[in-house]
Amino acid sequence: MTSLPLITSASPPKPLLSVPEQAPQSVFNEAFDATGQPRPAWQKLIEGVQKIPVADFAHRTTQANHLLADNGVTFNVFHEGAKSQRPWQLDLIPFIIDAPEWQKLDAGLRQRARLMNWIVKDCYGSQSLIRDGSLPPEVLFANPGYLRPFDGIHQEGPSIVAAAAELARGRDGQWYVMADRSDAPAGAAFALENRIVVSRTIPPDLNTQPVQRLAPFFLRVQNTLQNLGSKLAETPRIVLLSPGAKHSYYFEDVYLARYLGYSLVEGADLAVRDNRVYLKTLAGLVPIDVIVSRGIERGIDPLELGGGEPHGVPGLLRVHRGGKVVIANVPGSGLVESPIFMSFLPTLCRRCLSEELLLPSIATWWCGDPAQWSYVREHFEQLVIKPAFQSSGNEEILPRSLSAEARKQLLERIAARPHQYVAQELVERSAAPVFHQGSVRVGHVALRTFLVADGADYSVMPGGLARVALSTDPMELSISAGVSSKDVWVQAVSPVAPVSLLSAEDEPVPLRRTNAVFPSRVADDLFWFGQSLDRADFLSRLLRAVIERLTAEASTELPELPSLIRALADQGQIEPGFAIESMSVRLPHLREALPRIVANVDERHGLSAAVSELYRLASLERLWMSPDTYRKVRETAERYRSAFVPGRASLVDLLDALNQLILDLAAVSGLIHDGMVRGPAWHVLDMGRRIERSKHTSNLVRSMLAPRGKLERAEQRALLEVIDCRMTYRSRYMENVQQNAVLDLCLTDETCPRSLVSQLISLALHVDALPSDGKSPLRSEEKRIAMDAVNSVRMISPEQLRDPSATEVLRILALMEPDMKHLADVLTNKYLLHSGAPRQITSDLELPQ
Amino acid sequence: MRYRIVHKTQYTTVEPISVGHNEAWLTPRETPNQSCLSHQIEFTPEPSIVVTRQDHFQNTTTQFAFNQGYDKLVVTSINEVEVRAPEPTALVAPPWESVRDAVRTHQTAEDFAALEFTFDSPRCRIASDFALYAHSSFPVGASIRDGITDLMRRFFTDFKYDSTATTVSTPVEQVFRTRRGVCQDFAHLLISMLRSIGLPARYVSGYLRTLPPPGKPRLVGADASHAWVSVFCGPLSWIDLDPTNNQFPATDHITIAWGRDYVDVAPLKGVYIGGSSPRLVVSVDVCAIEE
Repeated sequence: MTSLPLITSASPPKPLLSVPEQAPQSVFNEAFDATGQPRPAWQKLIEGVQKIPVADFAHRTTQANHLLADNGVTFNVFHEGAKSQRPWQLDLIPFIIDAPEWQKLDAGLRQRARLMNWIVKDCYGSQSLIRDGSLPPEVLFANPGYLRPFDGIHQEGPSIVAAAAELARGRDGQWYVMADRSDAPAGAAFALENRIVVSRTIPPDLNTQPVQRLAPFFLRVQNTLQNLGSKLAETPRIVLLSPGAKHSYYFEDVYLARYLGYSLVEGADLAVRDNRVYLKTLAGLVPIDVIVSRGIERGIDPLELGGGEPHGVPGLLRVHRGGKVVIANVPGSGLVESPIFMSFLPTLCRRCLSEELLLPSIATWWCGDPAQWSYVREHFEQLVIKPAFQSSGNEEILPRSLSAEARKQLLERIAARPHQYVAQELVERSAAPVFHQGSVRVGHVALRTFLVADGADYSVMPGGLARVALSTDPMELSISAGVSSKDVWVQAVSPVAPVSLLSAEDEPVPLRRTNAVFPSRVADDLFWFGQSLDRADFLSRLLRAVIERLTAEASTELPELPSLIRALADQGQIEPGFAIESMSVRLPHLREALPRIVANVDERHGLSAAVSELYRLASLERLWMSPDTYRKVRETAERYRSAFVPGRASLVDLLDALNQLILDLAAVSGLIHDGMVRGPAWHVLDMGRRIERSKHTSNLVRSMLAPRGKLERAEQRALLEVIDCRMTYRSRYMENVQQNAVLDLCLTDETCPRSLVSQLISLALHVDALPSDGKSPLRSEEKRIAMDAVNSVRMISPEQLRDPSATEVLRILALMEPDMKHLADVLTNKYLLHSGAPRQITSDLELPQ
Repeated sequence: MRYRIVHKTQYTTVEPISVGHNEAWLTPRETPNQSCLSHQIEFTPEPSIVVTRQDHFQNTTTQFAFNQGYDKLVVTSINEVEVRAPEPTALVAPPWESVRDAVRTHQTAEDFAALEFTFDSPRCRIASDFALYAHSSFPVGASIRDGITDLMRRFFTDFKYDSTATTVSTPVEQVFRTRRGVCQDFAHLLISMLRSIGLPARYVSGYLRTLPPPGKPRLVGADASHAWVSVFCGPLSWIDLDPTNNQFPATDHITIAWGRDYVDVAPLKGVYIGGSSPRLVVSVDVCAIEE
């Protein structure tokens, strides 16, 4: 692990951290034994922590959390509205598990995963466990999580490919499983990200012991998926199917896809055709062999499962039954998340594996069994009540915190349908030191561990995700629970050899010039990203030109101002009234209203909407742009947003914000232009920009030119300024501003990168570069539209540029916007088709009479 | 009896649907009393793919999908089915409690197969009110045949057929309170009652002959899909009951599929991309074939 250098300072000694040795009597103390001595595995860490000045530790904690924020490790970061964003707080003091302890956990977790896998296969297969009475029939037949379409689809190989277990350590020092996770288990990427950030920011004094690495676990994940897919293809195509940006763990979807090297896709990207499932790409349909599903299994096939919020694709189960796709986990694996299974595991382990259960579950009583129900009634206030058939953690009731009346009602509710409830022992979680608000305190720990199928067995990630709460109250069983999270260090017996996914083997690969697959949805987003980028750039320049003049002393005397205001109105930025009324009447109104109008994100065509759209699309498609580009977009959007204080922004503030925005957008453009590979992603992104710029340039010239066909000198200068070729003009013609030369530079000069014709030429080249089916001997529609646009501008003659009424130029400009819209439609339909969410219809309409 | 059955379902939309995936429960089952002599489903337009599968309850379903758009879909199921009256049995009907207990302990494959029809399902609920209603027909030690006969008779007297009283989503509790509904409601409620006293009961989706035999009244529920109930009677196997007509189905009922309730065997389910909400027209024609 590498570490940042210590911050040195010549000032007097700073206060050092101290670690409390005492924990509440009722809990197990992870770091200290009963005599207050650090446990051996923790000793170096505790000593290290106590050498660190408080300020230094606080500083590093801030750094670590900045790194996390920078990487977007938040829950719901993509959710609309900033309120739902919940930053992932990281505590730099790791959680340590010593080697012998871990060996026990490792064996217990692997056995448990094998057992769960056995149960899933049996329940969706021969149901021998129900037939022979090892499980009561309610476990399946009264369980809404038992989904009959998954019957018989559990064939060879593991059903549970990825699993997680939620653990707590009891007072007796024993680890207990609080919940089993096998329906798209979350959290592994958070554990990895914590490790990476901790490695970078932890004080060197703490980083003194061998710790098991996490990368081999992810290598194992890759190998397992590769092996599962190898029955379909030598090099199987693997995709990670995400429920999309609304998903609470979308960050993890993005992160895992990038880390494991798989395409991140959503349901709308996939299509079932005949007996296979395909990915819709810019170049057509690409067959998929393995789907790593990150949404709940109920959503995998809206045709057979119906309702809800499906993230999968209709017909997928049919393809799976035909053996033409591997889905991990196999749908149905989530069944064993129901806590009802916990009360039967010791028996089941003997029955299924002929082994004793190594890792116990938290004591669980199923109220459907009369003897257990009577125990629950007698010990009601010491237990926690849960629905038996929902994955653990959704709903938990603490009878002791209820009023007598509410307790009585709860008992009645359970008595009416006892099989629907379980009761579990309350656990007070073990204690570990946590740095919280400037000092080390006693926290209570929840540990999530991760497993992946490995042949007939499982591999456990040597580490995990620890979350800390400051009280011993029951903690939510979700990875977002607690005040902070910790890296989990599994003590290594000897120094550990570094392994990385990035250079797994020293073997040259076949060289390539293209991405494996480029989903149409991504293309669509990048196309809109390009459009938003240019829209934001153009609008900020136009607004700046207006505001500079509005804030000038004698603005009423500026002849170009009405023209610019008209252009602003034509762009839909302000009410047309502002452009019509006499200037002296309207200007004060405009001065007052403009900051508000510009700041309004709800104005769909406005600047703020363009900037926030830019950020939103960059967040969605970060996989397809460089980390620096994404960071710059984020910074741009945040800086722009923070420039507006609601209700207080003045024109001068606005001007500042626009100047900054123009520079920031230029930096984004530069990063894209310099860094982006000239592949399909680049083509669609730049195509979006060029289409937008062609529209804006032609509309601006039209707005200013149309009323009289002739521009004032001041108007010509303003035009050059907004189009951003003042400097070029001056270098060619000095101060001799003439309309024909101005129009040439803005429209027909092929050496000027800002001219209309340059946009159209680039656009035509991009359109040419798109994949073509090669079926028609003639040019496709999109190519014809692009060529026609280039030619029409190229055909403008010097005489037409000199024409005092500019008739022909205006005619050509008037065609530009409809042509560009048409082109965008054609491209969208052919390449970017965004088919929208599927709708569910059943023949409920057809009521049997 | 032999029947020719034509079941036509037509969806029309204003905006064309771009992609559609469907699954149909339209293939008549083979049962001890029923043989399916011919079966075909015709589609307009022609689907991109048609596949059949057996569902969890061993019904044959047909999945079909359209990769190209359409604005009108017609699914016509054409079947020839022979239905025989159940053979009179020499077996003595057992006490209803012994059926209940045998299923609960499920020592035989038949008992185990019946077991999953004793629980709640999406449209059927186990409740003490329902058990109370059913118990009057099932005194201690009563034979299961007497019990179901009496329950169906009382049910037919107490509940009134009323096609305006309920919608597809009316819960059984409400049907029980208002005592009105259509065949689907009656099937769901009767199933709920039987399950509430521990007897396995399933939902049967099917058809009734359109024209009654000469001199017999026309049955309620002809000209459309019909639904009734089947109850497990131990050694007597499954016995069908039609609470809408107070009948033990013999040769007038044609079985398509069965499941826990309507949700398992809705004739057509689908997922569509694009398009507007479809308008639905259904017609069923069940014609007795002269032999």
